[in-house]
Order: sequence, then structure tokens, then C-alpha cells
Amino acid sequence: MFSIYKKELQSFFFTPFAYVVTALFLFMFTFFFNGELGNQDQATFYFSYPNVFYNVIIMFIFLIPILTMRTFADERKFGTEVLLMTSPVNVAQIIIGKYLANITVFLFMLASSLIFPIYTAIKGEVVISQLICAYLGFFLWGAMYIAIGQLVSSFTENSIIAAILGEIVMFVFLFIDDFSMTAFIAQYPVIQAALYAFAAQPRFAYFSQGFIRLSDIVFFLSAIIVCLAWNYISIEKRRWKRG
Amino acid sequence: MITIENLTKYYGKNRAVNNISFTINDNEILGFLGPNGAGKSTTMNMIAGYLPMTAGKVTICGSDISKEPVKAKKNLGYLPEIPPVYPDMRVREYLSFCAGLKRIPAAKKSKEIKRVMEQLRITDVKDKLIKNLSKGYKQRVGFAQALLGNPKFLILDEPTVGLDPNQVAEVRSIIRDLKKEHSVIFSSHILSEVSAVCDRVVIINKGDIKAIDTIENLEKQTGGSLILHIRINGSRTTAANIIEMTKGVDSITKIDVEGDDVYEFTVQLKGDGEEIKNNIMGELLKNNIRISEIYTEKPDLESVFVKLINAKSSKSGIKELFEEIAAENPEESSENEEKEDNE
Repeated sequence: MFSIYKKELQSFFFTPFAYVVTALFLFMFTFFFNGELGNQDQATFYFSYPNVFYNVIIMFIFLIPILTMRTFADERKFGTEVLLMTSPVNVAQIIIGKYLANITVFLFMLASSLIFPIYTAIKGEVVISQLICAYLGFFLWGAMYIAIGQLVSSFTENSIIAAILGEIVMFVFLFIDDFSMTAFIAQYPVIQAALYAFAAQPRFAYFSQGFIRLSDIVFFLSAIIVCLAWNYISIEKRRWKRG
Repeated sequence: MITIENLTKYYGKNRAVNNISFTINDNEILGFLGPNGAGKSTTMNMIAGYLPMTAGKVTICGSDISKEPVKAKKNLGYLPEIPPVYPDMRVREYLSFCAGLKRIPAAKKSKEIKRVMEQLRITDVKDKLIKNLSKGYKQRVGFAQALLGNPKFLILDEPTVGLDPNQVAEVRSIIRDLKKEHSVIFSSHILSEVSAVCDRVVIINKGDIKAIDTIENLEKQTGGSLILHIRINGSRTTAANIIEMTKGVDSITKIDVEGDDVYEFTVQLKGDGEEIKNNIMGELLKNNIRISEIYTEKPDLESVFVKLINAKSSKSGIKELFEEIAAENPEESSENEEKEDNE
């Protein structure tokens, strides 16, 4: 498991890949940060990190698939899947090793975004406790998206298709609560409740307000576990189905 | 020892491998021979534990590959048909990754990597990106990966495909050297390669095993009978009839159209070559058919192989052979037919 983790990290950090993705992430962060700073519509000057995070999460839809699209698709494309499968490691170790590597790159991105709060703290004031909660929610959200992206990557050997499919699934996950609130769905309370159960946004809202609720953490963790377990099944299933 | 029992694989409704069983002994090189699409790669993938089998069992050193995969795979080194290399990694980096995958202790790692790099002579490219290497070097890097950790059994799927003759010879000599410490299963569709390297051969076609034997025994199988080549100038129908009627002729296996009314017959004999040759020559000359060349030859492995693979077509009669030729050279043969009619 550790060797797979190490190899994945090498492929991110020994190539420009991780740095380019992080630069893009910071560019977007800056964009929304400045937008938020320049928000003059409020009677009183109003700025909060959770609002920045909200906007950046929309950008996750494009960023995370770039990170995860190659995870399994490229292994299949280059035929290196055979190497992994015929080595004395089991599939679960492969999946977890790769997942941890993706998470590490994501943490690298998050860490680089810390310059904004630090800068704010120097020039003004930051509510540390709220910031930590927001970062935790932000991290869990990203971790869930990485699990989704990794799962989608195991469906195909074309990394571009993996990225686009991932974007669609993530898009659905982001807007499922807005969708469940529409007048049409509201006619059917059962469906509304069912859809709302999958909504991640209201759960993130609690984090951004400074709440850490067990149920929210469980929500994100169970989403991650379901995706990784499905990932395992999809890889095993394909082995059984074809050659 | 690797034991393969009743191994079967279906791809949907297509049967790729049908109920095959054989064993690989210690310190043995086993050739796995068959035409393209015979099920060689599928079988090797199943032995290596990449593909699950539909039915059957593969046991490596006492551990069942589907029940104790991790334990069984520790004794295996596998080089698939396409070398499983990461194009964006450097050779040393890649081997170090593979060493980790194979759970080679950190202390032995660099020594082990050095050893396989020397064995396959890739030390001079160790800092190059794999994507910049030639096909031959990529193949060798893949091979080096299989040797890491000194596994007891090596499975090599067509290791010489796409290499230049020098490299082929080199890879063969490496395989021969490996015999001292390892058992090797080695697939190929090139017969000379298998006969040059292997102790035993498994011949497979369309998922069925056609033969398992040593090279010498396979040669002996058809050793008694000879093959006769005759090149004639004249009517091929008459010639074919004469040859078929001659005592001691088993069958005509091939008729090549060499030119205008010039044919080369390949004939399988059952009895004493000299006598049959004389009889045929006499009969042909009586019928005004000129003979430009006639000689007998001992069957080589190639013909054993072809015979085993195409067990059906070698038994087909003259008519089918003519049909085959007509299909291959439509114009020529129709002209010839006319001429024959005029005669």
C-alpha cells in the first residue's frame, strides 16, 4: 500500500501536475476572495471565509476530476493494471493507497490556501474557530469528491471521459438540495425527503457556521466509504467480466 | 511446482480456454505454443492471477491463486504481452516501485534492483524516462520487473515479440540462464524459438491442448514418415491422381502454383522414401509430366506444429485442396482448367 501511495505522489509532485492544479486552485481562490472583499452591497462591510469556500466548492467540480481522472483510467490504458493485480497486494490496498495519495495532493492545495487567512489575520481579524470548522467541512467535501472521482475513473480507460463523467456526478451532488426545493419536487414530500438526504450543501452550511455535528461528519465519511467500496466492486467486476 | 487443473475460461459465450490441465516442474522451461488467438495470453493471465477463471484451479507452491492470492503471487514474476511500465517514470524509479509492490525489504532493495538491471543490461538507461526508451528496452525493463525478488516461477508472455534479432538472441540466452534458479513458462507463436529454449512444450489451439511433450518426443512422433516435394510441369489433375494412387503415399498436404502449369506438390509419405519416389517418378514420366525437382525431407517441428494445429485440414482430400487453390488464384486456375479441357 505504501509503495503505491509513494508512486502516486511521485507522479503528482515529480511532474508539474500537482503544482499546476494547485496554481489553478489558488487562482480561483484569489478570484473569489477578491470578489468577496469588494462586496460593497452590504450596508456594513461584510466578509467571511465560508462565503469564499462556497464559491470555491463550485470550482471543485472542475478541479477534482482533473486530479482524479487518471487514477485508474491510466492504469488500464498503459496496461499497468496487470502489474498491480499480479503483485502480492490486494485490490483494497491499491484503492486506499491511491485515495490517500489524492487526498495528500488535496491537502497540499488546502495548505497553500492558508496564505489568505494568514494575510487577513495580519491585516485584520479572523475568527479562528469558525475558520477551522469551515476548513474541516471544506476538506470533507473535497475528500468525498475525490472518492467520487476515483470511482468514476475506474469505469473507463479514457481519462477525459472519466473527468467529464465525474463533473456530471459532482454537479448533481452539489445542486441536489436546490433541485429538491423546486416547486415540482415539493409536490412529492417523499421524493423531496429522499433527495434531500443526499444533499451535501446544507451539511457544509453547518460547518461554515462553526458547528461540528457528528451526523454531518458521518454523512461525508459514509459517502467516502460507499464510493471506495463501489470502486473495489467495479474493479473486481471488470476482471470477472472481460479479459 | 505449479499445477493447473481443468482450467476453463469463457468470455461471455465465447470459450477462450477449454478444460486444460498441465504442470510446471521446478527448474524447467515450459514452452507455450499456439497461433494467435489460441488462448495463450488468457491462460497466462489466469495463472498469474490477473483474470479469474470460469472453472478450474491453479496451485502455485501449494497455494491456490484464487483462495490465497497474495501468498501465491509472491512466488510469481509476470511479464505480460505489453510490458506494464509507466511511461512517466524513470527506469530506476519504476523498479524501486515494483520492488515495493513485491514487498522486498528496504535493506535489500537497492542491491536487488542493481542485480536485475545488470542481468538485463539496462544499467546505462536507469535514469531515462521509460517513454523515451525503445521497444526493446521497454521490454527489458518489464522483464527486469518480473525478476525482482527472485521469484521461483516466471511467466513470460511473448517476451521476444517486436525485438530485433540481436535482442531476441539475448533474451533467449537470459531465459536459458534463468533455468538454474527458476522455472519459466514462456509463450510464443514462433516455433524455432520454443524449440531452441524449452524443455517441454504445450501446444494449444482454440483453447484446447493439442500436445504436451518434450521436443524430442514430438519430433519422433512423425519421425518415421517423410515428406516428399515434387515440382512438375504438366496437368496437375493427372499428377495428383498418380501421386495419390501410388502405394505408400499418405496424403497430399499442399499444392503450390509456381507458374504456368508448374506446380509444387507436398506429399506426406508412410513408407520407404526411395521406393515411393521412384514409383512416382516412373508413373509421372509415363504420363508425359516433366519433373523439375524431387526430394524427400524429414519433417521438422514446424510441420508437427502445423499438423497438430490444423488437425482437420491435413486430412482433407484433393478436391478441397484444388478448391483452396482456386480461391487463392481465381484467374490462373480458370485458365488452367480450360487448357486441361482442351487436352
